Amino acid sequence: MERMRIQNGSYIPVTNMNQGKDLSTIEKSVTQDKKFLYTIISYSVILATFMNLSSFQSPFIGFTATIIYFLINAIFLGNAFFQKENAFFRLAFGVLLLVMLIGFVGWLVMIIYNLDVIRFTLALIIATTLSSILNRRMKTKNAAS
Amino acid sequence: MPLADQGSKLLRISELVCLSLMALAFYLLIASRAGEAYTVWQVLHPAFIPTLFTATFLLLSILLFTSEKTTYKLLLIIVYSILVHSFFSIILPAGDFSGQQIVLGRTRRVFDNTVLHGLSGWPTRTIGIFIVEMFMGINLQAALTTIFARMLSIDIFYVHLSYIPILWGVFVPIASFLTTRAIGASEKAAVLSGLLVSAFPYTVYFGAISVPNSLGFIFFFYSLYFMLKHLSSNNHRTAYWMVAFSLFSFLSHYLTGIMSFSLLLLTIAFKTVESEKRPASNYSRILLISSFLTCVSLLPLSFIYLRYFGTSANPAFTLDKLYELPLLESLGIFLIGALTYSFSLEAILPVIIGPLIGLCWMIYLLYRLKRDVNAGSRVQFYFLFAAFLTILIDYGILKLFMEGLPLNAERLWVIRDFIAVPFVALAVYAVVSSFQTFLRARSPQTTTVACLKALSKGNALHVLSLLLTLNVLIPVLLSGWMTSSLSVGYPKVAPLQTTWYELEAVRYIQEKTPEKYVVICDIWTIYAGEMIVGINNPRAYYFGESNRTGYDLYASMKQDPSSQWMLLAMNYTSTAVSYFIVTEPRLGAEEFNNVVSKASQNDLQVYATFGNGKLYVFYAEKQ
Repeated sequence: MERMRIQNGSYIPVTNMNQGKDLSTIEKSVTQDKKFLYTIISYSVILATFMNLSSFQSPFIGFTATIIYFLINAIFLGNAFFQKENAFFRLAFGVLLLVMLIGFVGWLVMIIYNLDVIRFTLALIIATTLSSILNRRMKTKNAAS
Repeated sequence: MPLADQGSKLLRISELVCLSLMALAFYLLIASRAGEAYTVWQVLHPAFIPTLFTATFLLLSILLFTSEKTTYKLLLIIVYSILVHSFFSIILPAGDFSGQQIVLGRTRRVFDNTVLHGLSGWPTRTIGIFIVEMFMGINLQAALTTIFARMLSIDIFYVHLSYIPILWGVFVPIASFLTTRAIGASEKAAVLSGLLVSAFPYTVYFGAISVPNSLGFIFFFYSLYFMLKHLSSNNHRTAYWMVAFSLFSFLSHYLTGIMSFSLLLLTIAFKTVESEKRPASNYSRILLISSFLTCVSLLPLSFIYLRYFGTSANPAFTLDKLYELPLLESLGIFLIGALTYSFSLEAILPVIIGPLIGLCWMIYLLYRLKRDVNAGSRVQFYFLFAAFLTILIDYGILKLFMEGLPLNAERLWVIRDFIAVPFVALAVYAVVSSFQTFLRARSPQTTTVACLKALSKGNALHVLSLLLTLNVLIPVLLSGWMTSSLSVGYPKVAPLQTTWYELEAVRYIQEKTPEKYVVICDIWTIYAGEMIVGINNPRAYYFGESNRTGYDLYASMKQDPSSQWMLLAMNYTSTAVSYFIVTEPRLGAEEFNNVVSKASQNDLQVYATFGNGKLYVFYAEKQ
């Protein structure tokens, strides 16, 4: 079986490494959010959604943007609060929390005034900012504990 | 090939076949899509139920008899769960009639920005009522649906119809799994509960319609899970989540919210008693009993206080039902509700079998716990038993001692089923395990039919019957139960659902009319109109579903289809154009033809016809 050397000098099978790479590498990279890269990607996705709503109104762009948005922010929230669960449940809880968060922020914005395209965009920005902050804060807390 | 590799290959093939069957079932659902139908059963493809049954059988075999990863098993269950909750949204052109259509009619106004400050009627109502209405579930759902529709850049009509089946399909099996695991069940039993939650007709129905109550049930189930976690841990985070999910459950719908908070109270009481040293003091006993009584009374009392918050419902306690009904009928209503009146075993059995198994197994486990004082999950079992009793008592109170309720008490059955499902899974898994243990004891080497050759004829027959029961009979029985539950979950009798030509007529008028207009039509076209243009839209006015003026105008138009009523409607709504819609299947052929011919005699202009002449739109405008 093909093997690859890792840092401490031991070997692991390439196939196992690829399996791990699929999910946990993406998850780790998103959670670390170095130089706010994924937070910025998330904001860019919101910008793309806004532009799509204003000009193209393409469901394809909408679906792609939604998947990216949910993936990044669900990973943020899942890792912030459910770090001890396995990857599947972390993601599931992350998605559920994100649904709750955007639902709550959207509800608040709607009660204050309405949920037109601009305020909808604002609601998404608030949700992303909160997710990103929570991810950073809880990461530090979890590391300390 | 080594046995382990062979098994793994067989497992992958089984999973692939199971997924293919589910894909085929989805395709058959899409192929069953009909423009005009009374129920989903009327138009469902004949191959669908056999396909679903086979997929369920295979899925159960994978869950019960393989050591596949829990994650993969749950993924298969999620696909299955979305499938069984998508009948309305895929088959019918506008989903199930009434409830979810009314909700969409209101949500559409938020989506179209024709309403400010949510759906609370501000600024026409007082600030107090505005605050109360702010917390009504429809607001949270409207916000969520609008956000999803804008994110995906598709019309809210499609998002509204499909998002609860998807959310329910994904999150309810996971909640069921987690809840079962939280009471100390094995992973296999917990996974089984994720599937069995779709075997309860009321959970199937509420997972298929997009109403605030359904959203509330999802959050309720997670609050229940965190309550169980809180009972077994001292982590303060669990307590926060328990409260957070209860709050969201309340924001989604007051029924689920109040039930969440009732059980929250019970959790705190159980936690307090549990933290005390044994034996339990009198104080603990009194605390538990008083908490239980408060918990039971919260829901009925909350209905009484509803009248102070400006709702049209006027609930009250009454003894009339108890005096008027015979004892047997009262008992029937207490146990199975309205099903007493249309007594059919086919309908009753799928509704009661799950909770009954759950209750029996709960009592059996509690009996076993009595003998083992230090058993794990002890407090969780007692808590769930108390929660189950709360639901039963509350249901009895709502059905027999209250009148004028704003909702159907049967909705509590969804919560009852959520509490019962972990115990049903534990019971089924215990039966399977005992068969497996018995089989191993009887013939340690014989776990497959291929190994039977090594045994004597008598022994081989005995082991073969055990193997058949274990591998075929149990999955067949469970698959049969799950499939027959669907036939109760999705109604078999219903009025004609919103048709494609009613939707098309409403869309056509909306697209072709630049002026403000009003439509005089029956309740069914009002539902279609609300879904496309929103309720009480001043530019495209459909009278609300309970608007007396709208009803009177339609009745007058049916009697005497002339422009005077249309003019009256235009004056009443300050519009310039008026339409009158009549539909043949709603009126019956004779009355429909009569109305159309009278309208022609009165020189009413035919604006358009739809559905090969089944729907006529008449037109009038202010001179």
